[in-house]
This record gives sequence, structure tokens and C-alpha cells, in this order.
Amino acid sequence: MVDYKGYVHKDQDKDRGEAKERKGERERFKSSERDRDKLRETERGKDHREREREKFKEKIQEKDAEKEKHITRKDKEKGSEKEKDRKYRRDDQKQMLKQNNLRTHGEKDKEQHRRRESKDQLEQANVRDEVKERRHTERKVKEGKKSERKNSVGEFLTMKDEGSGHRHKSHRDQELNKDRERSQRDKREHQHLVRAGKERPSKQRSHELFVKDGEEKCVSRRPKEGFSTEDRERQKRENNEKRQREENERKKRDLKNSEHNKQGKSLREEETSHQYERSTTDKRKSNEAEKKADTRQRQNPGDHVSTGKPMQRQKSEEELEIIDNYLTNYEDDFEDYEDDFDDDEEDNDNEDRDSEEKLREIPISKKSEIEEIQRAINAENERINIMPPKKMQKEHEKEPKMERQDSPARGSLCRMFMDFEAANQRQTNRNMASIQKKRSSELLRLIDLDFSVSFSLLDLPPVNEYDMYIRNFGKTNTKQAYVQCNEDNLERDVQTDEIETLEKWTQHPGDSVLVSGGPRRSNDVSIDVAVTPRIDSQRLTNFLRSACQVIAVLLEEDRGATQPRWNLRSRQTSLSISDSCFQLNTNLLFLHGRKVFCLHVSQVQRQALLSVHGLPEKPSVIQLDRKYIICVWNVWQPSSPQKVLVCEAEVTCCCFSPSKATLVFAGTMDGSLVVWDLREDSRMHLCMKLNETDWIFRAPTFSTDGVLSSLNHSCPVVAIESISTSIYKKQNYELSHLSSQEEMSGLSFQIASMDENGTLNLWVAVELQKVDLAGSQSDLGLIPGGKVKLVHSSTLQLNNSLFPKAILCLTTPQTLNIKFLPSNPNHFIVGTDVGVVSHGTRHDLRVLPKLFKPQQGGPRSVRANAVDFSPLGKPIFLVGCSDGSIRLHQMTSEHPLIQWNDSTNGQPVIALQWALTRPAVFFVLDASSSVYIWDLLENDLCPVAKQIIQSDKVMTMVVLGEPEKTNGLLGIALAKQSGIIDIQYVKKKWALPQSEESEKLQLLLQQFL
Amino acid sequence: MEEPLGLASPGDTYSLRPAFRHRFRSSIVKECIHAILKENLANVQYNPEETPQLTRSLSDAIKDRLKEEGFHRYKMVVQVVIGEQRGEGVNMAARCFWDADTDNYAQDVFMNDSLFCVVAAFGCFYY
Repeated sequence: MVDYKGYVHKDQDKDRGEAKERKGERERFKSSERDRDKLRETERGKDHREREREKFKEKIQEKDAEKEKHITRKDKEKGSEKEKDRKYRRDDQKQMLKQNNLRTHGEKDKEQHRRRESKDQLEQANVRDEVKERRHTERKVKEGKKSERKNSVGEFLTMKDEGSGHRHKSHRDQELNKDRERSQRDKREHQHLVRAGKERPSKQRSHELFVKDGEEKCVSRRPKEGFSTEDRERQKRENNEKRQREENERKKRDLKNSEHNKQGKSLREEETSHQYERSTTDKRKSNEAEKKADTRQRQNPGDHVSTGKPMQRQKSEEELEIIDNYLTNYEDDFEDYEDDFDDDEEDNDNEDRDSEEKLREIPISKKSEIEEIQRAINAENERINIMPPKKMQKEHEKEPKMERQDSPARGSLCRMFMDFEAANQRQTNRNMASIQKKRSSELLRLIDLDFSVSFSLLDLPPVNEYDMYIRNFGKTNTKQAYVQCNEDNLERDVQTDEIETLEKWTQHPGDSVLVSGGPRRSNDVSIDVAVTPRIDSQRLTNFLRSACQVIAVLLEEDRGATQPRWNLRSRQTSLSISDSCFQLNTNLLFLHGRKVFCLHVSQVQRQALLSVHGLPEKPSVIQLDRKYIICVWNVWQPSSPQKVLVCEAEVTCCCFSPSKATLVFAGTMDGSLVVWDLREDSRMHLCMKLNETDWIFRAPTFSTDGVLSSLNHSCPVVAIESISTSIYKKQNYELSHLSSQEEMSGLSFQIASMDENGTLNLWVAVELQKVDLAGSQSDLGLIPGGKVKLVHSSTLQLNNSLFPKAILCLTTPQTLNIKFLPSNPNHFIVGTDVGVVSHGTRHDLRVLPKLFKPQQGGPRSVRANAVDFSPLGKPIFLVGCSDGSIRLHQMTSEHPLIQWNDSTNGQPVIALQWALTRPAVFFVLDASSSVYIWDLLENDLCPVAKQIIQSDKVMTMVVLGEPEKTNGLLGIALAKQSGIIDIQYVKKKWALPQSEESEKLQLLLQQFL
Repeated sequence: MEEPLGLASPGDTYSLRPAFRHRFRSSIVKECIHAILKENLANVQYNPEETPQLTRSLSDAIKDRLKEEGFHRYKMVVQVVIGEQRGEGVNMAARCFWDADTDNYAQDVFMNDSLFCVVAAFGCFYY
């Protein structure tokens, strides 16, 4: 088969070239008489036409093959019956093929021989029997026709499919072809018979390889042919008219096609076969054979020309038509031809050839057109050839074989076989197709097909990047509503430092040591508050004040009692009458050069001593130069005064408050009264630092100076006495003392002040409950912050009431001092400068005796400088006069009990005072600074002791002593001119009380009476 | 040329319109498709190797299901397209040359996170 393939190509190539060559040869050989050029021309034309036709034919074949394949495929699907049929046939074919192959291979030599033989026979036959030859050729032509038919059926089918018109025609053809079919069948049978008869020789006749192949096929198809006839007969029997018709149609068409093929093909086949004969077999013989073949060939055309001229004409015309309207009119042409063929199937071989010849002689003018078409067709073929399916190749292979079959008989057999193979398929296909077609055509008349609107099946928009991101990275089932990208978070530079704050607190006045503070940090507040101690400062100060006094007194007592300091200092100054003495420390800067005018001892607190200092002779301290000073001493603490009081006016007299030594009262030269409250805070007063010691100079708390001018004294105050209202009720001194302490809180006591003109004012000291630091509007004499003030109670004009008219008519007596009866404060005695002491009461009651007169004489100018009641409750008093006389009076008698004249040698008595511890002892100071001690029980005519103080002049004297105590301490304070205050403790014999002293004194007094 | 009429086989009668109850109704078909898709693709992830098989089985399933629905004389064409969801845009459209009186189509889309599946079922009446 491979060889054959190679051959196919070679053949195609050679075909023309050799044909030409051959023609050339032919010319050389045969065209001796004829005009060569002309001949050549015609030959060429012929050749050309032939070639074109060949091409055309080939193309058609190919097309057919292709289409057939297509159809067969369709058929396969549709008609199972047909398929089976075909299969069966094919199987047969294959079997045959094998057999043939075996045979051919085995009998190769034989074949060679046979070929030669057949060749010879052929030649002989050609020569011998024209009829036979004719028949051969005819058969060959027929075979070609049939072989072509097989291929062309497909084409036809397609053509038919293309247009309904074709089909109609084909129907017509079918009818026409019925006859033909019949005739063909006859012919086939005939051929069959003939072939059966000629089987041997025909086989022998196949010389060449390609011929052999063809032969094989032919041989293989032979039995099939028989079978196919049987098959057809069966079909006939079944009256399958349709299929029959189809087949007829196909055949018809094949015929038509084969006309084209036949024209060149058969001729060429012969030529080529000859050529091969020549090439393969003996050259010597080949020449002859060629000659013969040529002659035969030439004869044939010649015959064609001669016999088939009208046909040729017709045909040429048809050709033109084909060119013009190939697809549409092609079949019509065939019909004509078919008719021709049908008419003379057996005999008109020549005519066919003639027609072929005729074609060759187509005018040149039309040739060009044909050429064009052919070229187009070629191009199409080439395109198809590019990818020929397998089946197509197969058919392709088969076709050339068939074409090159030498023996027309065999060729016819082959074609017959091929015909049957595909026939059923095609038929069924065509049937189905026609049915479909018909159906569609009928339906389409009833139905309107239209294009629908295009449906959108899916419109999925591309996912944008954000969604993609969210899908991949975002959380599921969440949607992002908006984005916050911290755009509004701005920062600006600030140039100021942050202000540091700290909380602090302060308090004024300070509750305690801690007066200010605050947390280091704000959160420490609570801790600090908790730490601050809760102190009741008021209570504490009260406690300290009292405690200090107690402690101080205790310490002084201890010191004074056991180890008196003055022992050392007052050695020179110690007096004969005294056991011991000491000095109050007046050696202070502000007391330098001041004389002491007055001394006063509290009646309750015996240790409290007041000393009044006058103006200094030389200015020392500028601020205090013009002020008078009162010092408050505790005799147990002689080192320094307890308090220092200052006063603008000259102080003439002073006294303590009766119950407790907290207030100091003083009368001045200008008639005013001044009060100091010793409890006042030191900060209210002037503070000076002198000799590294702070000294507080207290200003008066209350002053009547300038206030209450109508009621105030108009002349210097000579005496001031405190009147304790409770004292007189208690006979017992001790009890009174106790009671006085109780009354202290009440501060309800009176102050009596008396001036030189005999005006006695009684004042009530009132302690204010409310302190006004800003100063009082109503109480003009009160210091800002002061608590004590004096309220005027009553005024007594002693001169008018006390003194008789006899005295008053001579001169107005001057009052010098006043004393209240200790047992009954309503009674008082007033010393005058007329030598008499008047007796008065606070309520202007008349009392007797009205006056206490000296023993001799009437009123005379003698000053009663000192008067003093006996402290122990006896209603007697002493009067010391300026003439040096001393009188002892009792309250009930106008005249004295006893009078001592010249006891002082005529020296005026300055001071006179009873001893506090002994009822019969009293002390007298005269102007010559002599101190006399009187003890009435010892000596009632003269003093028991006399002490003259020569070193310094004694200004005044006051007795100190504590009657409550029995320690025997009795002292006299002596204020000296130099400013020194000496305290002399008298000897024990005068100090210690003796047994039944008061009774003895009473007896003594009664003696005096 | 008038021969074909004569040649028409006597049995060739045509029903030009389907019975109403056999009519191809989109809603019903769509429900069928939807049910099948939901059943078969509920938790399916796109796998390029399995998808061709899946489309085939789906189309067969749908076709069989539609045949059960009894659309007589209807030729069914079921087209199944499965694609992966990768964010690309997809646009599918169809256009038919048919008899709008009898022929119809139904279409449904199934989508999950990894794939989308478009099913179009065309019913052509066979006269």
C-alpha cells in the first residue's frame, strides 16, 4: 500500500509530464504526414484541457469522498440497518483483500508472467477483436463511471441538500433512472457473467503493481458484487423503493460526474498504464505496445470526434453552463448525459469518448474561464487536502487505484462494490434528511422564529479592592461604617511652665505651737490634720497660771523660811530689833533714782506688796521718765517685781482688791482713780527690753481721769480703801478669808476714795463679761480689751456731816486718811488735820461718838497722820499725830483710852500700825527715821524698843506678817529715800503670840478706863 | 416543484402548541434548578480538578429532573457554568433564535464564597 501511495504521487506528477513526452513521441512517430504544429497545437490544447479536467475530476472526487465520508458518518448514526449491511460488505472486502494479498505475494512471478501474457493478450485482443476491445473500453468507461459514481454520490447528496430544487429534480431523475437502473442492472449482470467467464484471463491481464492493487480490489469486490446483487435483490424483494431510488439517483449523478472524469481519466489511465507497462516491462515490447496503445488512443478520440460531434457540442455548452452556474445546473447536464448513457450504454462508448474529445476542443475563449474556475477549485482542493481525514485518504487511495485499472471489467466490478457499501448509508441519511427537511419546511410555514431578547444570565460585577480587603482580612459579618484616623489629635507648643500650686494654712492667733502648715502634697492634707494636736489652750493657760503661782509661792516660801537671802546682804543693815532682813531688788534700770512714796500690803494675800515710785531725779529711761511706776511684789520673790504698772499722774495712794490681789487701784494727785487688771495679757501693754530682760509696763485698765468729771474728785486723792462687803459679816478672820476667796469670782466690792476736801466717793468695780478689743464707746476710760471698770456708787461730803459747826466755822478741816472698821465696813474713821478723828458711816447714819478728840484741849492744828484699827477684831484704834502724840481710842468713847505724848521726842509720827500676829504690839515710825516697837502688855508707858535708821531716811513703813501662820515671821517693810525697800523680820519675842494676850490686853484696856 | 407536498407521509401531523400543563414554565424550572443547586453546592469549595465533573453531573441531574417534570415534546438544553469567585467581574448572556410562543428558558445563579454557578435551562418545543 505504501508503494502504491508513493505511486499516487508519482503518477500524478508523471501523468502530465509523461503524457507530454509520450505525445512528443507520438508526434515523432505518427505525425509524419500531418502538420506537426497544428497537431501539437491541438494536442497541447487537448493536453491542457485534459489536465484541467483531470484536476477538476480529482477535485470532485476528493469532494465526493469527503462528503461521502460525511454522509456515511451520518448514516452510521441513523441507519443501523444500513450500517450492518455495510459492515458486512466491508468485512468481506477485507477478507478478500487479504486473500488477494496472499495470492499476489505468492504469485508475484506468476503475475509478472501473467502481466506480460495479459499484455500480449490485451494487445492481441485489441488488435484481434475490435468489438471486444470496444467492449473493454466501454466497460472501462463504465467502470470509471461507476467508480466515480461512488464518490460523486456524496457530492450529489450535498448538492441536493443545498437546494430543495435539486431534490425535486432528483425525484424526477429517480423516475427516469428507473429504466436506467434496470438497464444497468442488466448490464451488471451481464458484466458479471462476462467477468465470471473471463475471470482467468482478466487476472492474468493485470501486469503491473498498481494494476495489481486495483485488481486486488476488483477481485475482492467481485464476490461482493455478487453479494451486493443478491442484497439488492433482497432489497428489491422488500420493495424498498426509496433506497433504490436513492441509489439510482446516485448512480445517475455518478454518471454525470464520471463524464468529466472519464474524459481525461480513462484516457490517461490508459496512457499511464501503458507508460508503466513500458517502464516496467521490456522496453522493446513497450515500444510496440506504446505504438499500439497510442494508435488505439488516437483511434478513440478520432472515433469520438467522428461519432460524438453533436454530443460534444452539447457537452461543451453544458460545460459553460457548469462554469456559470455550477451548483445549480450541474445536474441538469448530467441528466442529459445520463440519458445519453442510458440510451446507448453498451454501444456508445465511442460517444462518450467523443464527448471527451469534444471537451478538448472547447474554444480557447471559454478555456480561460474554465481555467479560472478550475484554479479556484484547485485552490479549494488544496485547502481541503491540508487536513484530509483518514477516511478521505482511504478513499483517495482507492480512487486512483480504480482509475488506473487496466481492465475495464475489473474497474466496473470495483465500482459496483463501492456503490453498495455506502449506498445504504447515504440512502438512510438522505431519507432522514429529507424527512427533516420536509418537516422543517412545512413547519416553518406555520411558525415564526424570532430572535429573543438577549437574556442576561449572570452579571457579576468585579469586586472592588475595598470589599476584597474586607473579605480577606476584615472580620466576618462586620461592616465598616467610617474610619477614624486620629486627624483631630493635634499638638501645639506651649511656652509657659506649669504653675505649681501648694496648699497651706495658717491661724491667728495660734492655737498652739503649730500656727501654720500645709501638706507637701495635696493628698497629705488628711494626715497633717490628724497629726495636729487638739489642745484646749484656754484651759491650759488657766492651769499654768494658777500652777505657776502655787509653785512660785512654794519655792519662795521654802527659800525664805529656811535660808533667807538677806542674811548675807543685810548684815550691815540689820537692825537691833530684827532677826533678819532683806531688800526688795529695786536696783532696776527703770527704778533708778525714784523715791518710794507709798507702800501697801494686801490684806488677804499678805505677801503681795505694792510700792509706788515717784519720778526719777535724773532721766534714765526716756519712755518712762514722765510716768509714775507702781511695782507689785511678792515678798517671797524679792529679786524682781511681779508686775510693773505705769501711770501718767502722780500716785498718792493705792490698794489691792479686797478678795484677791488681782486688781490694783490707785488715786492720783489730780483726783482721778486708776485701775489695773493684773490678769490682762502682757501683749496688750508696752514691752521693753532692759538689760536683757523683757519688762512689761502695764498701762491702767480703767481710769476716771477726764471721765465722770462731775463726780470725780476735784482735789488730790489722799486715801483709797477697798471695802469688802463680806468681811464684816465674819467675825472670824480666817473664815472671812475663806469666804473672801469664794467671793473673788463675784468681784462685787466697793472702792472708797477720799480727797483732801473730805469728799468720799464709793465706787463699784465691775468686771465686764465681754471684752471689746476695739475699745468701748460707752466706757471711755477703759483700755481696749480691758475687762474691769469702775462705776460711781455714791459720794459723801464728810466735812458737812462729820464735823461740828464749831470746828467748821473756824476753818475747813482737811481730811488726811480714812479707815473702815474691819468688823463693820459701814463705819469708818477719818483723820483730820485738826487733831480730831471723825467717825462716820457709809449711809450717813448718826453714830456716837461723832468725833474722837485728844485728851486735852479743843481742836488745834495737829495732823492725825496715821490711824489704824486693831486687826484682831477689837474695836480699838491708834492715832498718830504730827505733834508726836499717840492715842489709843475705843469706838464707844470720844476721848482716848490712853495717850502717849513725847514718846518720839516730839518727832511727828509718820506711820503707825498694829502687829498682825500679836494684839498688843504695834510699830511706830517717826520723821527722824526711828522705828519704835510698843508692847502694851510689857510696857504701857513707853515703847519696848527703838531703832534709829540713820543711813537713809525712811519714807514710809508697812507691816508684813501672816496671822494665820504661827511661824513667828513678822516683818516691817521700810521704804527709804534712796529707793531701797528693806524688809526687817522682827525678833521672835515680839512676833510670836503669847497665851491669853488678848485677855490681858482687854484687862489692860479696862484699867485705862 | 410541488411534488414534496405529495410525498409527505400521511402520518406527519404537527402539534404547534404544547398543552398548557406541559408548557415550559420558568418559575417551576427555576425552582427545580435552585433546589438541585442548593443541595449539591451548599458547602462546596471551588476545585478546578473536580469542577468539570461537577458541572456534568449537575447538568445531568437538572436535565433528568426537568424530564420528570413532564414537559412533553420539549427538548431540554441545560447549560451549567461554574467559576471561581476571585473578585473578577463576570457577565454572561444568552440569545436565542426560537419561537417565543412555545420556547422558554429558566436561569438560576448559585453563589457561595468560593464559586458561582450559573445554570440556564432552555426548553425548545418539538412540534
